[in-house]
Amino acid sequence: MRSIKQKVLTLAVVVVLILLIIWTSLAFSSRQTQKQYNVILERYLVLNEVNTASQQVITELNNFLTNTEDEQIPRLNQSLRTLTSLEDQILTLGHQENQYQLNNYLHLMDSLVESVERAISLQHQQDFDQARIEFTDATRIQNYISDTTLFLLDQELRTYDSFYRSIIEQSRELNQFGIWLLLLLIFTMIVVTYLFQRSITHPIHQLTEAANALSRGELDQEVKVDANDELAFLAKTFNRMRLNINQLITEIQQTAQLEKELQENKLLLQESQFRSLQSQINPHFLFNTLNTVSKKAYLEGAMETSDLLVNIADLLRYNLKKLDRSVTLRDELRLLRQYIDIQKARFTDRLIYEELVDETLLDTPIPALTLQPIIENAVIHAVEPYARGGTVALRIFQEGNNVRVEIKDDGPGMSDEKQTALLEGEIVPKEGHSTGIGFTNVIKRLRLFLKKENVVYIDSKEMVGTKISLLLPLNKGGDSDD
Amino acid sequence: MMKKYLTTMFMIVFIGLIYFTISSFARVLTFEWEEPAPLNNMAEEKRLVLITQDMDTPFWGSVASGARAQAEREGATIEVLGNYGQNDDDFLQNLELAIHAKVDGVIIQGLDTEAFKELTKIKAAFYSIPVITIAQDVPMEESLRRTYVGSNQYEAGRLLAEQMIQDLNDQAEIVLFYDKTLPFFQRERIRGIESVLSAYEDIHVIMAETPNQTDGIIETTQHVLNQYPSLEAVISVDASLTGGVVQEISRRRQVDSVGIYTFDEHQEIAPLLEAGKINALVKQAPEEMGRLSVQLIFEWLNGETVPLDFNGYHTSIEIVIGEKNALD
Repeated sequence: MRSIKQKVLTLAVVVVLILLIIWTSLAFSSRQTQKQYNVILERYLVLNEVNTASQQVITELNNFLTNTEDEQIPRLNQSLRTLTSLEDQILTLGHQENQYQLNNYLHLMDSLVESVERAISLQHQQDFDQARIEFTDATRIQNYISDTTLFLLDQELRTYDSFYRSIIEQSRELNQFGIWLLLLLIFTMIVVTYLFQRSITHPIHQLTEAANALSRGELDQEVKVDANDELAFLAKTFNRMRLNINQLITEIQQTAQLEKELQENKLLLQESQFRSLQSQINPHFLFNTLNTVSKKAYLEGAMETSDLLVNIADLLRYNLKKLDRSVTLRDELRLLRQYIDIQKARFTDRLIYEELVDETLLDTPIPALTLQPIIENAVIHAVEPYARGGTVALRIFQEGNNVRVEIKDDGPGMSDEKQTALLEGEIVPKEGHSTGIGFTNVIKRLRLFLKKENVVYIDSKEMVGTKISLLLPLNKGGDSDD
Repeated sequence: MMKKYLTTMFMIVFIGLIYFTISSFARVLTFEWEEPAPLNNMAEEKRLVLITQDMDTPFWGSVASGARAQAEREGATIEVLGNYGQNDDDFLQNLELAIHAKVDGVIIQGLDTEAFKELTKIKAAFYSIPVITIAQDVPMEESLRRTYVGSNQYEAGRLLAEQMIQDLNDQAEIVLFYDKTLPFFQRERIRGIESVLSAYEDIHVIMAETPNQTDGIIETTQHVLNQYPSLEAVISVDASLTGGVVQEISRRRQVDSVGIYTFDEHQEIAPLLEAGKINALVKQAPEEMGRLSVQLIFEWLNGETVPLDFNGYHTSIEIVIGEKNALD
């Protein structure tokens, strides 16, 4: 992954390098040209120097001849040496064009030196007239040197004419090259800068789009960015955030669902309580009355009637007290037996009740008034309508990890649709139940109590009978207690 | 689609720019400096100088080309110095410069003046530089020249005079124009002419001395024409006078009626000859002079011919007869 910083740095370094290369090469080429110019200039300067030096010699000689002072001698010699030392430099100026003139020039310098020396020696020999003549000669030679200098300079100009022109031409070419290079660089820079800013802004644009989508609530779209820098990292983080939000929303939805169910549960309970409250005054009065009647029956010797009345009172009390509490299977079974006793008193031989119970399983917790409404249903549908009566069978046994409670009758049975409707809770319970609690209520309370959906099974065939099974989890703690 | 189009355009511009930049760069790189050729063994080559008074005349051009060709054969450098319009000061300066520059040999058109003789006799001898006169001589005793290369001027005079005699009637007046300074080569020519004419007593020779300036020539010519209206021929001993003389005569008279005889070393002669205004002239061999002078100087320098013949080495001369004469 390359960071934006790296990209910027690379761009800057490349630009600086290019500029450096251009600067160096331009400096180099201008240095070359400068050198050429210097060489040419030096040629002129050397020629000029010779001219000046020869004039100096003549001036010194003149001073010497007029003053005849010995201190003039070193100065004269010095100027002569200067002139002689220039000869080597003059030699380097030679080329085929000026060969002859240059040769003349050198010899003229020699002649001047010789002539001056002769003049000096003549002066020393006190031959002043001859010295004067020699001086005139030297002056003439110096004039020739000046002339030749001019001629050589002129010839330099002519010889190097094309050379100078080519230098000018080259600098023009160089200028042109500079312009082209500048254009190329500007163009390249524009393109590179454009691509560079795109590589930064395009991912940002994509991110903005993604953010917009998120804010609109489109959480399922994956955030994609064409980059490999910090922005890619940003996009990844963004994506993770999106997934997290998605997950959170799902969780919130589930919680809401749960809350809704809880609310329903409360409503059910309220409904039951309301129903029980409805009959609250009545039951207490009834309960006391039943007890009084029971005692009276006992005192009068009607034992059976007394027991029946006690059962009814118990049933009433159970119903009043334990509706929203969990009880054990044992409690439910006791209530069931009292209820059967009461029903037996009513139906006598028409009701046949069979019971097969594994006593070890009776500690299993169960909501209050779960079995009684089912048995009551069985009695209502399988016994009451028929003159010959019916059989109601209860089985409690262990099945794997569960306690299975089966209530079976030999009544008319139900159709499949009715079974499903019953399980879905779509059948409104009719009035007429002794406890005021219908089958639907039982199922719902069981489900809430066990926090499980599949708790109740209905197995029914028309004209054969109905079997209702409750599947309760095995209470292991209860087992160890026994 | 738009993007593709743009990209293509950018690519084309980019490639174009790269092409121009590179080609421009290549031009900068491959630039050639035309430096003059370097020196070749400068110290060893003999340096000769040919000094003339009339540059760029056909005559002296031929001398120079002959000398150059020979110098090239000998492996020497030769510089042709000269001035225009017979300026003596410049001419002598050239000579002095050559002497001070210690050339190996001087080939020079002889100038019969004191200054010239002083230079050749004292200066050149002092530096021991050989001097050869060419085309025009200065006596050896006066100039200490090594030798002379050129026409035998005495013979040339004779040739011209003989040609004139053939053209003329027995009795005639002729005018002889010569330079006032009367240099040696003109004296020789006159001597040659007179040696022929002395045999003909009926031919009357008038000596016309003239300064070598246009005004002077015209004046002298007018004077001569006034005094001798019946003159039949003119001999111009100095070729440089011929133009002026012919011009003045043709203003005053029919040129055809006057015979013009001269020499060939001046630039005005060739056009005059072509225009048919010259009867006859002595044609010299300038190229041969140039060649021979260089050859001789080398023979002297190399010690092959020492000393050179003081009397000089004469090149061929011939008479050229003009169209004007042929018509007669």
